[in-house]
Amino acid sequence: MSPTKKQLNDQIKAWRKDAATLSYEEALQALDLLLNELQNETIPLADLQQQVLHGEVFLDRCQSLLDTIEQSIVQLDPDTLTPNADA
Amino acid sequence: MTLTDGNANISGVVWASKLAQLSYRPKDGDGVTIVGKLNFWAARASLTVQALDIRPSLSTVLRDFERVRQQLEEQGLIDPARRRALPQRPGTIALLTSVPSSALADMLRTAAERWPMTQLLVIPIPVQGAVAETIVKVLNKLASQATTRGLEAVVVARGGGSREDLAVFDHEGVCSALATFPIPVITGLGHEDDLTVADLVADHRAATPTAAIVALLPDRRSELQTLENRRRRLKDGATSRLRQERERLMQRRAALQLQSPLQRISRLRETLHQKQKLLEALSPDRWLQRGLALITGASGEALTAVASVKIGDQLTIRMRDGQVTTRVEQKQAPQRSKRS
Repeated sequence: MSPTKKQLNDQIKAWRKDAATLSYEEALQALDLLLNELQNETIPLADLQQQVLHGEVFLDRCQSLLDTIEQSIVQLDPDTLTPNADA
Repeated sequence: MTLTDGNANISGVVWASKLAQLSYRPKDGDGVTIVGKLNFWAARASLTVQALDIRPSLSTVLRDFERVRQQLEEQGLIDPARRRALPQRPGTIALLTSVPSSALADMLRTAAERWPMTQLLVIPIPVQGAVAETIVKVLNKLASQATTRGLEAVVVARGGGSREDLAVFDHEGVCSALATFPIPVITGLGHEDDLTVADLVADHRAATPTAAIVALLPDRRSELQTLENRRRRLKDGATSRLRQERERLMQRRAALQLQSPLQRISRLRETLHQKQKLLEALSPDRWLQRGLALITGASGEALTAVASVKIGDQLTIRMRDGQVTTRVEQKQAPQRSKRS
């Protein structure tokens, strides 16, 4: 049975929460896996829409990571290799 | 010390207070460039060079380069087969260079443009003079922590300068530490034309510090394009799947319609009609219409030869519009052609 609109929204929220923990490579890998399933026609027709939405969640995750502007730069003390206090 | 150009000699001195500040101690026979002043000792009528700074000459640097290169080659540390592939999208990398420096600024700017997702650990190292031991110490410490820190590659960089300024990157200890480093090493030392032993032992040699970052970090813009392609594939994949399913459905509908009773009766009727046409085409009536006749004997058998009838036999001749019954009164054998 197809999920209701509310169920689908809740599902997308859950997917987004899960995807937020993925690295760029992990999200890309998950997306490629889903794309392959889509092309191999292993996904039941009833799940097609959900799978596409799930794929878009992975895509959005990759996109948001690519839009990162702040780079994490840590300067280490060469003797101790611990972060410099003034870095 | 005695300084010579091969023909003439002059004595030189380095005051003890200056000696400690020198980053390079020449050995016998080394070519050197000296910054100093001339002292004239009136009492002895002698002229002495008082060295303020001593640096190895290019010939000395290149001789050391050759010696260390040969040594590491013999140890199997310079071998293209040892080079490891660079990580595709590293999570954390270390930048070993002088701080602050234009090399570091270039690398940070390039990294921010290309791939800000990678964490950069900046480890200041001296990059000129007698600093090999310091660099080796840092490299050894970092090597022991590479795995726990999740490091995926190390960049050793230094901005441009003279070839002599890069001498520390020909140092055997530094190069051995780089050659045996547990994760891939990228060098970006000096100018494009400068080649050091560190470049030879590295997994990847980049021409400049900026080029090292370009080699190591993916390009965000091309990655965005890749994502766009995947987004299109995702949409196309779903649309194409739906289209295929629709086509399959239409094929099944057509197959089902073919099996309906009305369709079957219609097909049988058509088959019957074709057979009727064939029968008509093969019927002797067609020959009768063209003026030929069909002769049958008393028992209805078709007669095709004179030899099969006798005088007095009753024959039925069937023609286009009916038939006549007659008797054989005369027979005539077929004429044989004469042979010459």
